[in-house]
Amino acid sequence: MDATVDTPATPPAADHRRPRGTGVTRAPDGSLVVRVSGGLSARLDARSVTVTLVTLAAALLVFAWAMTLGDYPMSLGDVVRTLVGQGEQRHEFVVRTLRLPRGLTGLLVGASLGLAGAIFQRIMRNPLASPDIIGISNGAAASAVFVIVVLGGSSTEVTWGALLGAVGTGAAIHLLAYKRGVSGYRLVLVGIAVAAMMTSITSYLLTRAEIYEAQRAVVWLTGSLHARGWDHVRSLAVALAVLVPAALALARHLRVLDLGDDAARGLGTRADRARSGLLLVATALVAVSVSSAGPISFVALVSPQIGRRLVGGSSAALVPSAALGALLLVASDLVARRAFSPTELPVGVITAILGAPYLLLLLARANRIGSAG
Amino acid sequence: MTMTSASTSSSPLEARDLRLAYDDRIVVDGLSVSIPRGEVTVIVGANACGKSTLLRALARLLKPRRGTVLLDGRDIHRLPTKQVATQLGILPQQPIAPEGISVADLVARGRHPHQRWLRQWSVTDEQAVEDALQATGMADVADRPVDELSGGQRQRVWIAMALAQGTDVMLLDEPTTFLDLAHQIEVLDLLHDLNRRDRRTIVLVLHDLNLACRYADHLVAMKDGRIVAEGPPREVVTAEVVEDVFGLACQVIDDPLTATPMVVPVPNGRRARPASEPAGAPDPALVNGHR
Repeated sequence: MDATVDTPATPPAADHRRPRGTGVTRAPDGSLVVRVSGGLSARLDARSVTVTLVTLAAALLVFAWAMTLGDYPMSLGDVVRTLVGQGEQRHEFVVRTLRLPRGLTGLLVGASLGLAGAIFQRIMRNPLASPDIIGISNGAAASAVFVIVVLGGSSTEVTWGALLGAVGTGAAIHLLAYKRGVSGYRLVLVGIAVAAMMTSITSYLLTRAEIYEAQRAVVWLTGSLHARGWDHVRSLAVALAVLVPAALALARHLRVLDLGDDAARGLGTRADRARSGLLLVATALVAVSVSSAGPISFVALVSPQIGRRLVGGSSAALVPSAALGALLLVASDLVARRAFSPTELPVGVITAILGAPYLLLLLARANRIGSAG
Repeated sequence: MTMTSASTSSSPLEARDLRLAYDDRIVVDGLSVSIPRGEVTVIVGANACGKSTLLRALARLLKPRRGTVLLDGRDIHRLPTKQVATQLGILPQQPIAPEGISVADLVARGRHPHQRWLRQWSVTDEQAVEDALQATGMADVADRPVDELSGGQRQRVWIAMALAQGTDVMLLDEPTTFLDLAHQIEVLDLLHDLNRRDRRTIVLVLHDLNLACRYADHLVAMKDGRIVAEGPPREVVTAEVVEDVFGLACQVIDDPLTATPMVVPVPNGRRARPASEPAGAPDPALVNGHR
């Protein structure tokens, strides 16, 4: 392809340690490189892979365990047998219609929040830059509450309202922060302002609402996986099937965007375009998750940070963050369902209880170091 | 200066009739320059004379309002970003080293323009990084975090990254700013060696005129967005040019070690006393009482 300009500076004869053309080797960032003949090569960060696999295994365990618990307890064996179609009739409904779609929605929503948070934090070089702080979730919430309170919409309409709200707010933040390209710093500031505006719109709508609608709105605002069915799973799965590959394809550019815009452009990446693309994908991920489960807080903030710590180095840890988001959300949902049983809490309450102290810790530490980045 | 035919021009990088501006402020207007192939070109000038702006335009980081930049005779703004990045490298003034990144990892990111979806780390990539680490003397610290290195070493890492990019033309915006004198020399020596080794075309923006004279094959002196003089340092650097470009009265003498021009500022009435004079002599500055 670019063999004409890609000539090594020294002739091959001078090589003292000739790299291998095929097989497995290591790249300088510690990732494993697999080379096959024909010049194709792929790299995999070994630690990312380990963290992802372990986290996913844990998430699946919690997911399976959660399906055994409830008003109608059953053994893990019963659950598995039902899942593979060998179960008893009376388990069918509970597992297939109630618990399985709820768990799957939890996994998918958690994963998209984790992935979106990782992208936002990386691009804005700010650990606080998560969709629930820079206004995207708030925009979705304001829009959803508008649909509930003013239009009296059905739950499907609320879903669409949230989706449009998230995308609209994301676009507005992007446009407002645009000045010869978008800088992370401006996005965070504009985002916080927009978040405040959206929150006040939500509050205003709630003061105007009838009591029944207000209650419905408040439950939605907390974020819940209650009564999520196959419709939710299906739309999430379709959205993620498009968004996740897009995110991973664009993530290649993060490696050079990290070095600053001028350096990134000098290395052949259109910095603004790559960043806008990544922001668009991250916003869409938030939009689909908020529209299915409400604005669940802190998952997008916390998962990437844990992910980066576990993976270490300078990796963006996108996939591990997604896995951690999934684990965090199904575990929180399990607690939400069982902690005060038979009363069930919305999962958003639990993520907030877990996430708020973490945020405080983060702020305290950032203060001690003397920077918020 | 002759510009006969564009296609067979000996210059890998040239600017024609550039107008460069930030928002409404025009910084450079009607500037043409052609960078000689295989040489070290140094751009000098007072603060805010447009030298960094010119470098950004040459590197395609800034789109000119008028005029064109030609990379190997072709309009750089009509070439794909990725292709430009395989022919021309730019080290910006303050690139960001991600937290905790290792030397080798950072250098490896210079290979980005050569990588594709299914060619993420080729043998050529590996070789180029190995080579760049060797050439800059950073092979021994390849696994260390960049944060732990000294300022001079860190600049070598960035140069290694630009080197790994494997371009024929390399632009560097004030690569010696923030470095102490010994590290400035270290970095400039390195660039000189790289130029002589591979005949790579190197363009630098520098602040220090004496160092510029030492290391430049071709010197470009700018003032108010225009080129005042260009050519070999010996021809360019005269007392008149320095006075005009920097607003500094000076004498130009031969550098005793390299015989390149050396600028000695006129003492301006202060401290103008030969060191050999007896300590008891009256200070001329006090006697004359003028600046």
